[in-house]
Amino acid sequence: MKQGDMMHRLRLDERELASRVAFFEISDADLRRLSSLRPLAERHTDEIVEGFYQLLLGHPETRKFFADEATIRRVKRNQRDYFLGLFTGQLDLAYVEDRLRVGAAHERIGLPPKWYLGAYRRYMQLMDQRLVAELPPTEAKDAFQSLRKLVYFDMALAIDSYVLANLDALQRHQAAIRELSTPVIRVHAGVLLLPLVGTIDSQRAEQIMEAVLVRIVDEQAKVIILDIAGVAVVDTKVADHLLKTTAAVRLLGAQTILTGISAQVARTIVQLGVDISSMHTLSRLAEGIELALDLIGKAIVKKVG
Amino acid sequence: MALEAGDRASSTGDGEAKRGDQVLSRAEMPIACEDDVVIVRRKVRSLAQARGFDTFALAALTTATSELTRNVWVHAGRGRVLIEELTDGQRFGVRLEFRDEGPGIEDVDRALAGGFSTAKTMGLGLSGSRRLVDDFSLESKPGSGTVVRLIKWTRY
Amino acid sequence: MRGSIPILRVGGNLLATVHIELRDKVAEAFQEDVLETIEKTGAAGLVVDISGLEVVDTYVARVLADTARMAKLMGARSVLVGMRPEVAATLVRMGYAMDGVATALNVDEALILLTAATERRI
Repeated sequence: MKQGDMMHRLRLDERELASRVAFFEISDADLRRLSSLRPLAERHTDEIVEGFYQLLLGHPETRKFFADEATIRRVKRNQRDYFLGLFTGQLDLAYVEDRLRVGAAHERIGLPPKWYLGAYRRYMQLMDQRLVAELPPTEAKDAFQSLRKLVYFDMALAIDSYVLANLDALQRHQAAIRELSTPVIRVHAGVLLLPLVGTIDSQRAEQIMEAVLVRIVDEQAKVIILDIAGVAVVDTKVADHLLKTTAAVRLLGAQTILTGISAQVARTIVQLGVDISSMHTLSRLAEGIELALDLIGKAIVKKVG
Repeated sequence: MALEAGDRASSTGDGEAKRGDQVLSRAEMPIACEDDVVIVRRKVRSLAQARGFDTFALAALTTATSELTRNVWVHAGRGRVLIEELTDGQRFGVRLEFRDEGPGIEDVDRALAGGFSTAKTMGLGLSGSRRLVDDFSLESKPGSGTVVRLIKWTRY
Repeated sequence: MRGSIPILRVGGNLLATVHIELRDKVAEAFQEDVLETIEKTGAAGLVVDISGLEVVDTYVARVLADTARMAKLMGARSVLVGMRPEVAATLVRMGYAMDGVATALNVDEALILLTAATERRI
């Protein structure tokens, strides 16, 4: 996911930025202070980055991301830039976009969120030590406050980018599940079968109807058998979905056969007063297939001899 | 045919963009003759198609557009439609607002329940359109015209 | 306007392919053409192919249903073919299932249906 898209999805415009800056109570004074700390930060960047990597390399789960020397060198370089980015004194959309990009890169290679939060904690600890060592107590305290505000701001962005990435993965999985959950089978030329399993909510019912209609036209199938033996609950809503689908199938010029109706379901449908007389209904799938063939003018015949 | 009325319970709302929704474009088109039914529909269709609406959602939106544009023309003779492209950060949406100064609708609830028609075409078109979209609202008073608002979002 | 929608003779039946918008004047002219042709040819069946229609709203649906009814009054059975999946889904979602109109998957199927119907009548 490109960071431009992320900005869009997080609705990170000037208004949102201003809102976040206000919420984290980052003032112009804070930014100026951070900017004035840049020389100090630059002086200590190398040590701080080293100290940071000591943490990472000291733990197996994070060490595995730094397999070879070349990787470590490159990552340390990026880390310097990232760290120094805290002291530019500029907090605008470009800054945000940059932070999101880095966050997305880390998420992509599978670094867990704790890496981030652990990293920031380490930075703050390492910086704190230097600030206390080099600045008078009041100044050190103020500097640390300003730094902490920006660090929390950054962490919020990091978490946002992880959440968005998860949402993306979820959507991809849902699309895959949708594909798998409407397996329309061609039983014979002109006869389709769709075994329905599980719960049928409104959204799934919509998908089922659409998948069925498209297949019927694609294959010019005259009959579709919907087997509901595996459907968990058949109530008025489900019956309504089935009726709608049957009506739509009819509009295309095909017929629907409903099979897999258990005694329980038959009782429920009649008791609920649902009129499904417009559909062919049968209890067994095998009978449904025979009926379907009959409807297209065919029959299964025993071989002679 | 025992089809359940109002089965899109979520298709009420106020037909307005929510806070956090961004308006990407806005256009207004007049409705003054029968040709406009097709012209408006084509505009909405090409917009929605460009935003990635799938075939079924596209058909639903364009059909609702056709219904409502025709309603304006048939019952008020003239009116206009505001067409907005929206995004909520995750999906794209098309928002339409139909306005006319026609005779208005006496019984809004009954009109939306469907199957009711003062003139030939009104009945099912209005309630039917509501079922095709995600957000729908109807404001009408006899003598003060009608405003129909709807929003349809891309799916998945 | 008259003749905008071509009507072909196929044996004892008629085939009309709706490839343009069925707006007011066009719809009226179409219906007149159909009825006149049934009268002239004595056709027993009418196949209306709407595979070219991307959108069928309640107005168009009504025109099609009315046309079928009018043809029936003149002794011709109608069959609607070629409806697109998204059109069927939309009509049904609106609550308009066009119950009174016979349908078939395609022109061939429609003709088979009409021939069988004619044979039964004889």
